Amino acid sequence: MAEPVALRAGNLGARGAASQAAQARQVIGSSIAVREAEKRYGQFHAVDRISLDIEPGEFITLLGPSGSGKTTLLNLLAGFQTLDGGEILVDGKPVHNVPTHKRGFGMVFQSYALFPNMTVTQNVAFPMRMAGVDRATTARRVAETLEIMRLSAHADKAPSEMSGGQQQRVAIARAIVMRPKVVLMDEPLSALDRRLRESIQIEIRDLHQTIGSTILFVTHDQGEALTMSDRIAVLDAGKIVQIGRPLDIYRHPANRFVASFVGESNLIEAEIMQKRGTTVTLKNRSGYVFDAESRDAIDVGRVTVLVRPERIAIADEATANSTPVTVTSAIFLGETLRIEAQMESGETLLVRCPDSAKRPLPNIGDRLHVSWGPEDCWVLA
Amino acid sequence: MTTLSLTDEPRRQPTSSLAMKLKNPALLLLPAVAFLGFIYLLPLIDLIRISISGPSWLTYFERVFAVPLYWESLVRTMQISVTVAFLCLLFGYPTALLIHRTRGLTRALIATAIVLPYFIAILIRTYAWMVLLGRTGPINKLLVAIGVLGEPVQLLFHRGTVLLGMTAVLLPLMVLTIYSSVSRLDPGLTRAALASGAGPIAVFWRVLLPLTLPGIGAGFLLVFVAAIGFFITPTLLGGPGDQMFAMHITQQADSVTSEGFLQALGVVLLLITLAVVAIAGRFLGLEFIWGGRKLTESNAASTTRAAADDPTRRSIGSSLADTIGWPLLRLVGMLPASFGTWTVRLMGGLVVAVLILPIIVVMVISFSSASYLTFPPPGFSLRWYEQFFSDTNWMRAFWTSAMIASVSAIIAVGLGTCAALGIVRGDVRGKSAIMLLLVSPIIVPPVVLGLSLYTLFLKFDLIGSVFGLAAAHAIGGLPIVVVILAAALQGVDKRLEQAAAVHGASSLTVLRLVTLPAIAPGLAAATFFAFLHSFDELVLTLFLSSAQLKTLPLMLWGDINYRLNPVLAVVSTLEVLLVVGGLFLARPVLATSQKAS
Repeated sequence: MAEPVALRAGNLGARGAASQAAQARQVIGSSIAVREAEKRYGQFHAVDRISLDIEPGEFITLLGPSGSGKTTLLNLLAGFQTLDGGEILVDGKPVHNVPTHKRGFGMVFQSYALFPNMTVTQNVAFPMRMAGVDRATTARRVAETLEIMRLSAHADKAPSEMSGGQQQRVAIARAIVMRPKVVLMDEPLSALDRRLRESIQIEIRDLHQTIGSTILFVTHDQGEALTMSDRIAVLDAGKIVQIGRPLDIYRHPANRFVASFVGESNLIEAEIMQKRGTTVTLKNRSGYVFDAESRDAIDVGRVTVLVRPERIAIADEATANSTPVTVTSAIFLGETLRIEAQMESGETLLVRCPDSAKRPLPNIGDRLHVSWGPEDCWVLA
Repeated sequence: MTTLSLTDEPRRQPTSSLAMKLKNPALLLLPAVAFLGFIYLLPLIDLIRISISGPSWLTYFERVFAVPLYWESLVRTMQISVTVAFLCLLFGYPTALLIHRTRGLTRALIATAIVLPYFIAILIRTYAWMVLLGRTGPINKLLVAIGVLGEPVQLLFHRGTVLLGMTAVLLPLMVLTIYSSVSRLDPGLTRAALASGAGPIAVFWRVLLPLTLPGIGAGFLLVFVAAIGFFITPTLLGGPGDQMFAMHITQQADSVTSEGFLQALGVVLLLITLAVVAIAGRFLGLEFIWGGRKLTESNAASTTRAAADDPTRRSIGSSLADTIGWPLLRLVGMLPASFGTWTVRLMGGLVVAVLILPIIVVMVISFSSASYLTFPPPGFSLRWYEQFFSDTNWMRAFWTSAMIASVSAIIAVGLGTCAALGIVRGDVRGKSAIMLLLVSPIIVPPVVLGLSLYTLFLKFDLIGSVFGLAAAHAIGGLPIVVVILAAALQGVDKRLEQAAAVHGASSLTVLRLVTLPAIAPGLAAATFFAFLHSFDELVLTLFLSSAQLKTLPLMLWGDINYRLNPVLAVVSTLEVLLVVGGLFLARPVLATSQKAS
């Protein structure tokens, strides 16, 4: 048994230390290669010839709506389901003939799946017991892991005596106690309330930095995906529609689906008038002309333009490149104002602007002028 | 770096090796299927073969329908069965509602009053009625005391007694079936109907009744099917004019000359049963046999949805409800508002009394000091207990029964556990068909089963052997085990097993550390009920036992026909205690299965 990576509990919870940890970090994770993986249920392709390469120690999120195949893909990796086609390689070796319990992964479930007939300690010790680790090492490692997850006080409790957040931390402890090369997480935070979810998100993120495992995280919550991942794979209808860093996914979505699934979006119909490199000049249905950034491969013609609500500037008076809108709804949300307004083309525009003393909450029916720069919009294919 | 691989590499199909196929839990179905195939299906097929082995294949059947004795008995059996099913429904539905509406201790008591008799041997419950209705029984005495009768009369041995006895015996089945459908109702529905302005009667007519219709249907048919094959109760409570079809089979079984004709009688009974079940299955889904719980194979639409999807059936139903039902209901609606509640309470209370009183009377009589059956007893003593425990014949029969029941329970639980694992966890086509095979022994009339097994047992010289009897009893024990454990296994969170597997536990370890502990209460309950089933079994035993191998029910049967004495009450009391103890142990399981359903 290799000696575990030393865990520095002190690092946890401090986001700033993460980058230092990343440099000093020891990567123990496996590389995973999914090649043309396929899973069918009758005519329905749950996973439709997906290929995906995951680097050792990477935190990758499978993001998609329910039924997009993300959980099926995770189950295929865990070995709960068998492939109908293609293959999965872990560290270059195919795993389809390796039964689940020999794959040596850790896994966190949405429903926690803590063994109700075992205490917290016994639950966390379970993987070590299964691996035949001796009692002393097991006890030490379990204590260490419970310490990291701030569960030491609950060591002898039954899972049913704990809150949801505590149970989920036990589940995480059980998944990482062996320092597995791969940790699978199946919507682990969706049963928790928002505040708890955010704090555990950061905890998992830091834990990933510390233990250096490859983490595959499944979620339908785009905010969660953006916060935690090194890379996000967006799935729809059994296929990966886009894969990339959170920033790229958010700012440069590959298509309408990604644009509307990740973050809030205004999708404006427009026609390309002129193209100069990656900048194009567009005209919307009501004749508003504006510039936008796009990728190279865009042709002239009708396109959809993404403008994120927070990139839209509002003014009371018309400016050089602004267009008038009529307010249809205005809500004060605390740190932001959420304004819905109708453009002259009839399209509804969602605008978010930070709360400021300069801007009173508009009334319904007010005329405002909105504008955005070329770098604030993105032309979708 | 990741690329969305677009190259069309030749795709590799993962080969599933033989080793992996061998790990499919569906293989666990094999022992139970083989067991039933040999000891259950084969004899039934043989029964049919013999029944058509006459000069012409119709010869024996012609005789069944030509001889008035049998033909009339068949008609009578149908009449009695339909009447009993109706009576059970009439009294059972309010009782089910009563359980559903009461709370706390009252509910527990009423539920116990229904469930307890359900698990007590039919023989013993029939005996209790004989005691109750006898010339020196409490009912005669009460009627004389209040002056209705001048002197005690013979209340036993006519059609009315048969109907009463059979209804009482089969009521728990009806109540429990309807209750499982009532309890599955979303309580919000009733509240929603009330909030929408429907009165209690409208709620019943438009919401409760339509939604519990599948339960009513299932209960009616289960009772009907059980009643057609009834043998013990009509034999003991009926007069010469109340011969039921199953009784002819046992009477004919004594004469060797009726080979072929006898089997034809059995086949007729079997076919009627199967026809009823098939028709019922068409409307309710065959799941009604084992309580309507779906297995993981959920492609078959649920019965309620099927009914709702059929627009013509629905509109006919609702127009009938409107044209006939509403005027009637308005009339009823003129009664005081509490009428419905009181109907439910009175009828439910009556049912509880009818089910529990005989048992209490018998228990009291077992402590009687009188040397004959009389109630209330002139004094109390333990003399009948002493007699029971000192009589070597009774004691030998007791231990024989206990041994047979233990072996039978081991067989049923062993095969049944594997089969339940296979059916719930296995990946196999035709799960429904296999489940149907596994639970079908519940619906085959025991008389027919006994008759068919007799031939097989003769062939293999198993008549009067402990193992043979235990195996025969396990045919009926197996469905009980499979149904209980399949439900228990479905209650086990699949994620727990996956969590164990992903963290390094092999299939067997998962089974030992996660699955078995989770279904342990179910396993205990299943073992108890399989034991009890064998311990109480009489009909198969009548066919398959020998003079040397007497079981407790067999001794009781002989004594009831020969002389009614309080020793029988002692045996009955002991049986009641056994069931109470078992139910107490099985309580957690029953509670959780109720919650789950």
